[in-house]
Amino acid sequence: MKKIIATLAVVLCFVGTALAQDNLDFERKKAIDSLALEKVRDLSKYIKIAGSKDTPFSEANRVIDRAEELFMNDAEIGVSSLSSNTITYYRVRKYFEHLMRLNYDRVEIEWYNIEYVSDLQRQPDGTYVGVITIFQTFRGYDAEGNLQYKDTTKKDITVYVKRKETQIGGRTIGFWDVLLGDMRVKETTNR
Amino acid sequence: MKIARNIIFLALTIAFVWPVTGQTIGNFQMDETEFYAMTKQMGQFMRRFNYEEDQFGEKLNPKDPRYRNNEMRRQSLPILFDQEKYGTQTELQRYFIEDVTKGDSTYMTFLGGRWYSEVSATFKYNGKDVNVIMFLAIEKEGLGSKWVLTNVYFSEFNKLFPTGEMAEKEKYFLHPMSHELDFMNIYKAFQNPDIIEYYASKEYQPDYLTLFFYEIKKGNLVFNHVDMVKFHVLQIKDWYFEVSWFNRSGLNSGWLMSNVIYMPEKEKNNVIKFYQP
Repeated sequence: MKKIIATLAVVLCFVGTALAQDNLDFERKKAIDSLALEKVRDLSKYIKIAGSKDTPFSEANRVIDRAEELFMNDAEIGVSSLSSNTITYYRVRKYFEHLMRLNYDRVEIEWYNIEYVSDLQRQPDGTYVGVITIFQTFRGYDAEGNLQYKDTTKKDITVYVKRKETQIGGRTIGFWDVLLGDMRVKETTNR
Repeated sequence: MKIARNIIFLALTIAFVWPVTGQTIGNFQMDETEFYAMTKQMGQFMRRFNYEEDQFGEKLNPKDPRYRNNEMRRQSLPILFDQEKYGTQTELQRYFIEDVTKGDSTYMTFLGGRWYSEVSATFKYNGKDVNVIMFLAIEKEGLGSKWVLTNVYFSEFNKLFPTGEMAEKEKYFLHPMSHELDFMNIYKAFQNPDIIEYYASKEYQPDYLTLFFYEIKKGNLVFNHVDMVKFHVLQIKDWYFEVSWFNRSGLNSGWLMSNVIYMPEKEKNNVIKFYQP
């Protein structure tokens, strides 16, 4: 009987630890938010570098490789403008290549100092999912330096957060893996 | 009057959304104030509604005395109304805020049920562009939750089941002794397909979602794109409201309450049946 109680106690301790990790407390959520924001900031940086006409082709390609690593394999980027509701879907590499091919002599891509992080919700398989919203301005100039096009877009980026484990020196270490998912790019009327 | 209203609204917004220093990039002054004021996600709408984040969008610790503080909610709730429709001082708005922030106040929760997403989309139906409205709800499953389709509105389906006059409907039935005649009269039910449903039970309700799935499976209805999304919220005691996206300049944009109706709880069941039969 004592043996059964002892076994039960060990099992409950284990379940308790697992639950404690599954139900994120406020501080842990904040730490995960920071991790996710870091990835989004990396993405912003890569968009700026790849979009710049001063970036050599080889460097732009290297940056696109890094950007692809931030995303899940099947992530898509859906882009729409004020003039049309139709959403154009791109894979991450295609989106960056499209950005590089834009027909301007000079472009300026800047990010507003605002990042909005949603609450994390769990999907049926237990993975946490959230959305980070950021804002970007884009300006394209011709050879004479005249402004040809400008827009401000709202980018809503899906963030997946999963608890994973790895072996380091024979010890099992748990960590939070953050990957970006689909990104919705919507033009705003704000200038 | 309108100017005074706008001034009050501006003061409220500035009190809530603290003035933000702009950044200068090249020749451009980038001012974030509008984006701070914008209710950027539906989740932010809920957090502002409940006062679970401060004016900078920082999440509040549930232990923080400001968390879900009703005094703070009274200050922040006006910015969640579509100001062009409701202004700031309408009787309805005042009553709403007073009601949801009193002692036994109610809060919006993601998994609390009774809130629906309305997704208006363009499909191709037999080769022509048509508008279909889909309703979705959050459903708990496994370790988390997901959005599920609960109903659909497509005018072509509604045309198939017009609301007929009761007097007209009463003319069509199979008399109660039809069984003794091996239902030899049942052919009459199929003579006019437009009114075949008159021969069904009075409890019968067409299931539009099944029709929708059927048309999709047959390849007659093909998805094209989403045109618009809005939300119907019935979670708050005695209130119904819609939350729509306002893509506009100024300090009143993003997800805002676009239609607010006082609705006692007992009246909600019929409305809910429309979103989730």
